[in-house]
Amino acid sequence: MPDAIGVSMREPSHGYQLRVVQEVLLALLAKEASHGYQLRARLQLALGPLADALNQGQVYVTLNRLEKADLVTSERVGQADRPDRKVYELTAAGKERLEEWLEDTSWPKPAPAEFHLKLVAAAAAELADPVRLVDAQRHALLAGLAAAQRAALGEPDGSVAGLLLEGVVLRLQADLRWLEACARYWNATKGRP
Amino acid sequence: MNANESLSRVGPVLRTRGLKKEYGRGAGLVHALDGVELEVASGETLAVMGPSGCGKSTLLHLLGGLERPSAGEVWLAGRRVDQLSEKALARLRRHSIGFVFQAFHLMDELTAVENVELPALLAGSSPRAARRRAAELLERVGLTDRAEHLPSALSGGERQRVAVARALSNEPLIVLADEPTGNLDSASTLDVLRLLDSLRSSGQTLLIVTHDSRIAATADRLISMRDGAFVEETRLTHGTTGRLNELAGLES
Amino acid sequence: MGRLLVVLRLAARDLRRRPAEAALLLLAIMAATTTLTLGLVLRGVTDKPYESTRAATAGPDVVASLSGDAFLDQPADLAALRALTDAPGVTDHSGPYPLIGVELNVDGVAGSRRTPSGDTIGGEAGAWAEGRDPAAAAVDQPELTQGGWVRDGGVVLEAGFADALELGVGDKITLGTRVCGLWIGGEPPDCRVAERRSFEVVGVAVTAAAKPYPNVCFGLFCPEFIGAVDRLAGGPPGEEPAADAEGPQEPVEPGLVWLTEANIRALAPTEAGLSHVVNLKLADPTDAPAFVNDRFPTSWSAPALQSWQDIRAGHDQLVKDTAEALRIGSWLLGLLAVAGVAVLVGGRMADQTRRVGLLKAVGGTPRLVAVVLLAEYMALALLAAAVGLAAGWLAAPLLADPGAGLVGGAGAPVLTISTVGVVTAVALGVAAVATFVPAIRAARTSTVHALADAARPPRRTPWLIAISARLPVPLLLGLRVAARRPRRVVWSAASIFIVVTGIVAVLAARAQFHQDAQLVGGTDPSTDRFNQVMLVITVSLVALAAVNAIAVAWATALDARHSSALARALGATPQQVSTGLSAAQVLPALVGAVLGIPGGLALFRALGGGGDGVTGPPLWQLLAVVPVTVLVVAALTTIPARLGARRPVAEILQSERA
Repeated sequence: MPDAIGVSMREPSHGYQLRVVQEVLLALLAKEASHGYQLRARLQLALGPLADALNQGQVYVTLNRLEKADLVTSERVGQADRPDRKVYELTAAGKERLEEWLEDTSWPKPAPAEFHLKLVAAAAAELADPVRLVDAQRHALLAGLAAAQRAALGEPDGSVAGLLLEGVVLRLQADLRWLEACARYWNATKGRP
Repeated sequence: MNANESLSRVGPVLRTRGLKKEYGRGAGLVHALDGVELEVASGETLAVMGPSGCGKSTLLHLLGGLERPSAGEVWLAGRRVDQLSEKALARLRRHSIGFVFQAFHLMDELTAVENVELPALLAGSSPRAARRRAAELLERVGLTDRAEHLPSALSGGERQRVAVARALSNEPLIVLADEPTGNLDSASTLDVLRLLDSLRSSGQTLLIVTHDSRIAATADRLISMRDGAFVEETRLTHGTTGRLNELAGLES
Repeated sequence: MGRLLVVLRLAARDLRRRPAEAALLLLAIMAATTTLTLGLVLRGVTDKPYESTRAATAGPDVVASLSGDAFLDQPADLAALRALTDAPGVTDHSGPYPLIGVELNVDGVAGSRRTPSGDTIGGEAGAWAEGRDPAAAAVDQPELTQGGWVRDGGVVLEAGFADALELGVGDKITLGTRVCGLWIGGEPPDCRVAERRSFEVVGVAVTAAAKPYPNVCFGLFCPEFIGAVDRLAGGPPGEEPAADAEGPQEPVEPGLVWLTEANIRALAPTEAGLSHVVNLKLADPTDAPAFVNDRFPTSWSAPALQSWQDIRAGHDQLVKDTAEALRIGSWLLGLLAVAGVAVLVGGRMADQTRRVGLLKAVGGTPRLVAVVLLAEYMALALLAAAVGLAAGWLAAPLLADPGAGLVGGAGAPVLTISTVGVVTAVALGVAAVATFVPAIRAARTSTVHALADAARPPRRTPWLIAISARLPVPLLLGLRVAARRPRRVVWSAASIFIVVTGIVAVLAARAQFHQDAQLVGGTDPSTDRFNQVMLVITVSLVALAAVNAIAVAWATALDARHSSALARALGATPQQVSTGLSAAQVLPALVGAVLGIPGGLALFRALGGGGDGVTGPPLWQLLAVVPVTVLVVAALTTIPARLGARRPVAEILQSERA
């Protein structure tokens, strides 16, 4: 996996994971050069309701970083010193990076190990009932599922944002299925010493 | 409807106290329900989840008067119903309770509209009024073009939607749904899901027993059951869009 | 061979799983086979006793009788009788004996008496009295079963007659003769008692020389000569009876008694009032009918002849009506059995279809499937035929009791090959007819359908559904339940139709008998037996129909349990549901009962009823049939319907698939 240039995955911000936004902006510039505000609008469209938390300045900050990394170039059009007047364009290096990203098939890693170990630890230390922990976690996920589903139902048919929400729902369903299995297991082992 | 007017509309639509149900005896005694306390407010959608055998279907049957509890009380709109005679229970079901079953339970020899008008006919409506209401309800669930079809000519999802229309026939206080998508494929499940969501928005009180998390997620409130008792309860309808970003992978 | 074993094993296992249904089927077919056996076996059952009576009493081959003309005061011309004793072919004779019609009264009993059959007669019974020697006759010497032979002041009664009147040795009776004037202008003449004497019963005897009580007949007014009497030439021309002439009154429904010749003459008002009888023995007894036909009377003064075959037929008549009634009854029962079996089989086929599918899915051909299904019912039918034959064979002697009038019991009735064949064929036929259509349909069902248990989807009748929507809830439910299985509705109605037809015909027959009895004022032992048999048949019909009705009700409740539970879940009360289930049967029963009234009247007419202005049962009985039937059906179906309507809804809905 190519290194994210100058970006730390663990950067504590309440914006987005910057890496994702980088690649997406590169992709959005692949076809033609765009203004910053246009890029932001298209991003909002793709994210639908989740775009609400899109930080105002996040897109511009990221564009700056990309420029510094020579993945995009910008040109001032019209008046100077006003960020929204810049037109950005993809460089060759940017195109290369983009192509690498597009071909990259690595998938965000699921991490059941953490919760699994939580249950084991609770049982071993006899500090909490694993089954109750599972129940609580299930309900938390279900609340999330409810939110995602409600948002998905609110989307018109064929909306691209609806697809994203569907993805959230289905992943949650998969997690919930695993949690049900955990519940069954830990319920059954209750009787055993 | 007079029957409903005479019942109180203030307070919870459905309430139970210490509801118990046991089967068998001696060594074979099974506690299907072990002292359940429940309240369903008017206009609320409540989902009850749990593994199979946890007693959720039993709970539904007791709430609908299809079975009698071994102990405890069931109150419907301020009136105690667990001690009523079969005859009174039947009258109650006529006007206050609508059922949706996992196996649809439509009459095979009746068309969709004839199935939907049946509760109205049983309640004594004139054939014309019953037919009109049935047509309205079929339109509400989006099956007007299927009104004259027999169940055998309908897909699973369509059948269940007809069943939902039937359940609404007599403007019930509460609709009880037992695993409404249990026999459906995923596409049909989505149709029924949308329908249940629209019922919720229209203010119908719903109690859904399900193991499908998506269906459960349409509810206002969710209760988990295990071994005949409630174990966990959560509100599902307070804004959680912030969490949504996390779940979508947009935040760390 | 292997396939046969498979078929047998499958059939046996299936029967064992449902013993109650198998028993019902068996019962239904058995009722028909038993009555049929009885009906077939009773024919000719009196042959043997008659033969032994003939042998024991040296019974005659021909009986010739001749009456005098009392109105013209001309005694009987005995020369004609004596000429017969010298006719070719006659080997022996006894008589001529004097005969007179008498009225028998039982001493010390004022007013009327009841006969064993329960009818009330006046204090008198009619009889022919024959004058005899104390010495034994060469031909026709009646054999005593009680007491001794005639003596002065003593009377010997024929055994059947004595039995009917409950008289025995030592009883005191009076015998009297009546004379009547002429019939003038259609007005019945005045009659008076001519002579009356007391006698003591000294003996009871059997004879083969006369038909049994009450059909004893001498002279030209016997049934054989009715019709011919009009064509007979009269007496000597120019002779007119005096205005105050009197003649003996013919005895009504007479029995037979024997007195001494002197006692007979004492009773006879005039010599011309006497009749005479001579008994002939022929060289070849089989010639008797020819002998009788050659000498058919051509004038009033000619003797009237009866052959022994005629007399035997008279004894046969006792059971002939009974046999006939049994045969007709067995037809009705057979039809009823078909209806009942068809419903039961139809119900079973419904849960057979899945098993049918399994059989086919493991390689059974459609033919094998149909064979297995038919095999079960054929086996039951064969069993029913065997049991019916045995039961009929055992019961026949009870019904075939030839009466006290013949010695020797009927003996074991003979089960001829043809009887066995007919009964077996009928039993198999009933089973075949009832199971044929469902078996073929089950065999034709495709395997997939059978496995999916969709092979018997309920019928849909749109107009019925529309009509039922306008009716009150119980009728709405009932009509729809019935409409799901139209064939069962038809069989139910047919079943009730058959029963009501039978009952109406029986009621009409009873009305006719009462009418006849009133006209003639007597009793008839064959009527007793006939009535008993009618009762048995009626009871069997009603019992079988009741069983049918309950079986159908149970099958209906079972079949409709899903829709009943659903209706209750949607708000129908258990009372409404059970009333509906009952109505689903009561309505067809109503139709069947209403149609059964003309059916029964037609059957009555077809069997030769309707003489004497009796066209049917009394109106009140006719009007009562339909409501009573409907009430009975409603009552019978209530319990299965109630049970069907009270099972816990949740249980049914859980276990039933949509």
